[in-house]
Amino acid sequence: MGAIASQIESIIGTAGITAWSELPAEQRQHYEGAIAPGTLPEYMICPDSQEALAEVVAWAHRDGISLLPCGSGSKLDWGKLTEGIQVILSTERLNRLVEHATGDMVVIAEAGLPFADLQAALAPTNQFLSLDPAYPERATLGGIVATADSGALRQRYGGVRDLLIGISFVRADGQVARGGGKVVKNVAGYDLMKLMTGAYGTLGVLSQLIFRTYPLPEAGATVVAVGDGEAIAQLTQSILLSSLTPTALELLAPVTTQSLGLESSASNNFGLLVRFQSIPASVEQQSASVRKQAESVGLATTLLQDAAEADLWKRLREKWDEPAHSDAITCKMGVRPTRAIELLSALEKLEDVQPTLATLHAGSGLGYLHLPADASPSILQQIRQLCETHSGYLTIQRAPVPLKQSFDIWGIRSETLPLMQGLKQRFDSQNLLSPGRML
Amino acid sequence: MVAVQEKQDWQAVIQDMEAVIDPNNVIRRKEELLVYECDGLTSYKQRPAVVVLPRTTEEVAAAVKVCDRHNIPFVARGAGTGLSGGALPLENSVLIVTAMMKQILDVDLENQRVVVQPGVINNWVTQAVSGGGFFYAPDPSSQIICSIGGNVAENSGGVHCLKYGVTTNHVLALKIVTPDGSIVDIGGPVPEMPGYDLPGIFVGSEGTLGLATEVTLRIVKTPDVIRVLLADFTSIEAAGQSVSDIISAGIIPGGMEIMDNFSINAVEDVVSTNCYPRDATAILLVELDGLEVEVAAASEKVEAICRKNGARQIQSATDPQERLALWKGRKAAFAAVGKISPDYYVQDGVVPRSKLPEILEEIEALSQRSGYRIANVFHAGDGNLHPLILYNNAVPGELEKVEEVGGEILKLCVKKGGTISGEHGIGADKRCYMPELFNETDLETMLWVRDVFDPKRVANPDKIFPTPKTCGEAARAQAQKEFPNTERF
Ligand SMILES: Cc1cc2nc3c(=O)[nH]c(=O)nc-3n(C[C@H](O)[C@H](O)[C@H](O)COP(=O)(O)OP(=O)(O)OC[C@H]3O[C@@H](n4cnc5c(N)ncnc54)[C@H](O)[C@@H]3O)c2cc1C
Repeated sequence: MGAIASQIESIIGTAGITAWSELPAEQRQHYEGAIAPGTLPEYMICPDSQEALAEVVAWAHRDGISLLPCGSGSKLDWGKLTEGIQVILSTERLNRLVEHATGDMVVIAEAGLPFADLQAALAPTNQFLSLDPAYPERATLGGIVATADSGALRQRYGGVRDLLIGISFVRADGQVARGGGKVVKNVAGYDLMKLMTGAYGTLGVLSQLIFRTYPLPEAGATVVAVGDGEAIAQLTQSILLSSLTPTALELLAPVTTQSLGLESSASNNFGLLVRFQSIPASVEQQSASVRKQAESVGLATTLLQDAAEADLWKRLREKWDEPAHSDAITCKMGVRPTRAIELLSALEKLEDVQPTLATLHAGSGLGYLHLPADASPSILQQIRQLCETHSGYLTIQRAPVPLKQSFDIWGIRSETLPLMQGLKQRFDSQNLLSPGRML
Repeated sequence: MVAVQEKQDWQAVIQDMEAVIDPNNVIRRKEELLVYECDGLTSYKQRPAVVVLPRTTEEVAAAVKVCDRHNIPFVARGAGTGLSGGALPLENSVLIVTAMMKQILDVDLENQRVVVQPGVINNWVTQAVSGGGFFYAPDPSSQIICSIGGNVAENSGGVHCLKYGVTTNHVLALKIVTPDGSIVDIGGPVPEMPGYDLPGIFVGSEGTLGLATEVTLRIVKTPDVIRVLLADFTSIEAAGQSVSDIISAGIIPGGMEIMDNFSINAVEDVVSTNCYPRDATAILLVELDGLEVEVAAASEKVEAICRKNGARQIQSATDPQERLALWKGRKAAFAAVGKISPDYYVQDGVVPRSKLPEILEEIEALSQRSGYRIANVFHAGDGNLHPLILYNNAVPGELEKVEEVGGEILKLCVKKGGTISGEHGIGADKRCYMPELFNETDLETMLWVRDVFDPKRVANPDKIFPTPKTCGEAARAQAQKEFPNTERF
């Protein structure tokens, strides 16, 4: 038993401490995906209360121990490789639903609560957390916030930043800080929720989160339109300029339309998924209107409801989460919405690489791209350029180790770096929290 | 911290300012400075040393650099309608006013984005895009006079933020001038840019992290149908209960507002709309929007809920003119109260929606106890109260007492799980109540953010955060309560 273990045991007891060598091989391999080769962590620690979590971080701060904060670890292979991690610090056991104020439509939960468990607890009250993140079964709330991860529902509900109204986190020095609160409208003090959303565990360890919830829609349906890229662009634009209120509006590159089995017979298989969720009469009316518009520009449409609809979105989620090849490069990208089809077409036509998935949320211009593992840095640079000329960006999430080590995977605009580096330095001056993962 | 020199060479500062900004826009004559002494919170007044009115980002940056060189603090000001003293100058400060930065730089309906200079007035944005069927959702009641820069700094809300969100949910990107005079673009035309969410941190920072000189806003499609329902009740609890029931029924109205009997009568006296029944204890205004079928279904439910809770009459309107008539009284409420009472003090607390009936009762008790009339007009849907405490500033000592009553209300809000500001900001007015809500670590953590943007603490110092020096008065008020028989000075 090493020195680290005996110190930690004196803080949180023996439960929740596992030596690295005792972790199942599969789990070890998974965590290694987050860590630069060369060093391995010594322990994984899972405190079961905010106080214990804070004590562990305070100890690490005192002794200069570097930490990799995580939840279930489902997205640890996103971001740059961390350096010299000694302890993996998981919030998995901080998994209580603290309070659901039903009438206020606010829920308070610990960071380690799995997203699926929260949804299951909210459902009987006809409410839900309006996010559709990666790995919905495994992902914890803390991990979702740290990576600002959501999906197609951003069209209607915005991103994580728009739903998180209060936060507690353990700072690098082991003190617990709070921001926001449990009311939806609150301008007291700086918005620490926004700062921690998408910070990838580099500024603090999330311990408690407060979200606003929404009523579960009564009914839903999805119109699938497939065909020529220009017609899809036209349909998308006319939906966005109309008063229709889709909850999701997802553009698919032909490769994705095909992999979902949605292609029409023609060679041109751009796709648009238009999801409506409201009262039945509204869903029916809006779906009919979209189908009519789609058909008038020569697109083939299908209407999916009930199980078929749920299945489609589940399959799209699986495509996003489980690339065709397990070693694929996965990216998050952004583009000015009107340039979405242009970008998807350009990606289709790249000479040296064939994307295995490309989708964009039509309203916001955010999307996902999968590339084969051998895509070269110069190709990635070329794609980044494409996104940037359309006022967007390209961030690589998963990639083979050598690429992560040689390529600027984040693509953060350089003029904003000094402020970001300043924040990192001020919040974690010893660089002990996920060192190297973002900046 | 800047040590403000006792003898600042203002002549040199003015000279330097005149070198970078049109001298006509550098104001230093006492009588001209007068209008800049205070914002909408008129009980605090302080004349700034110099006022500058830049026209461009570069001029703002140059002005900030002059301040930096001379080691003097600066305060940003938009339209000066703020209600928490956010734009209150410091004695030895430069006030940087965005009133000459009123250009709408880009309207991009297809991408649903608009880029504006910070001095643009809130409702100009909606005017610029309404032809295309869009609107800018955050709509403070002051929307015809307040600036987007001020909205960004305060993270302002409005009647429609119940459904559409507040300013921060609509700001995609900002060009900012940091307190050392650098120009930085943060965020982008696409949300969730890689790296830390800098626009998220800047919005709501009340001018303490620098100045916004360009703002990229998200605009929203105008709904097909908008219907306003007006229900009147014989008890305020019943109105509050209806609000809870509507939300619990899964309906998210565009807006939901309550006015109490006093405000109803004030409005009827002053704007005489003849649509609010004078004998109602409370009225509830509910705006529903969406597709026609959705609005029809929702209004049926809302009507049923109101009736179940004892509503006497329910009026409704979809026609724009009639809707406006129903809203007119609500929009004029502050002004109406202002006509009835020599002065009023607006408070801006929030409670969880379900606590509305309780807090209203307690505010009423506080009113009885203190002897001050308190009118209630509020954003009921999100629990955001605006008690208006009526008083007469000409009577020495009244303001202090009224501020104390306001403070009591805030403490009640915090006790109920709420907060001390829903939309007006902390500013100079409420910073001494921050410790009610946040402990030292929380505040220190926020100051870490400030250290990064404004290490010298020159951007709107003395706002938001309590300091032992500035909160001495609150400490004295506390002492008064603990030792009620000591004399007051
Ligand atoms: C009758 C009335 C009704 C109101 N109703 C509402 C309401 O419904 N909802 C609501 O939220 N508010 C309301 N307000 C408050 C006020 O209108 C808002 O806070 C508004 O956003 C202030 O804008 P302004 O341009 O007047 O800012 P100012 O008062 O000039 O400044 C406010 C703050 O913003 C900072 N600031 C200004 N410009 C910039 C900039 N370019 N960059 C950085 N910081 C800057 C200032 O330093 C200050 O801290 C109301 C006010 C009045 C008088």
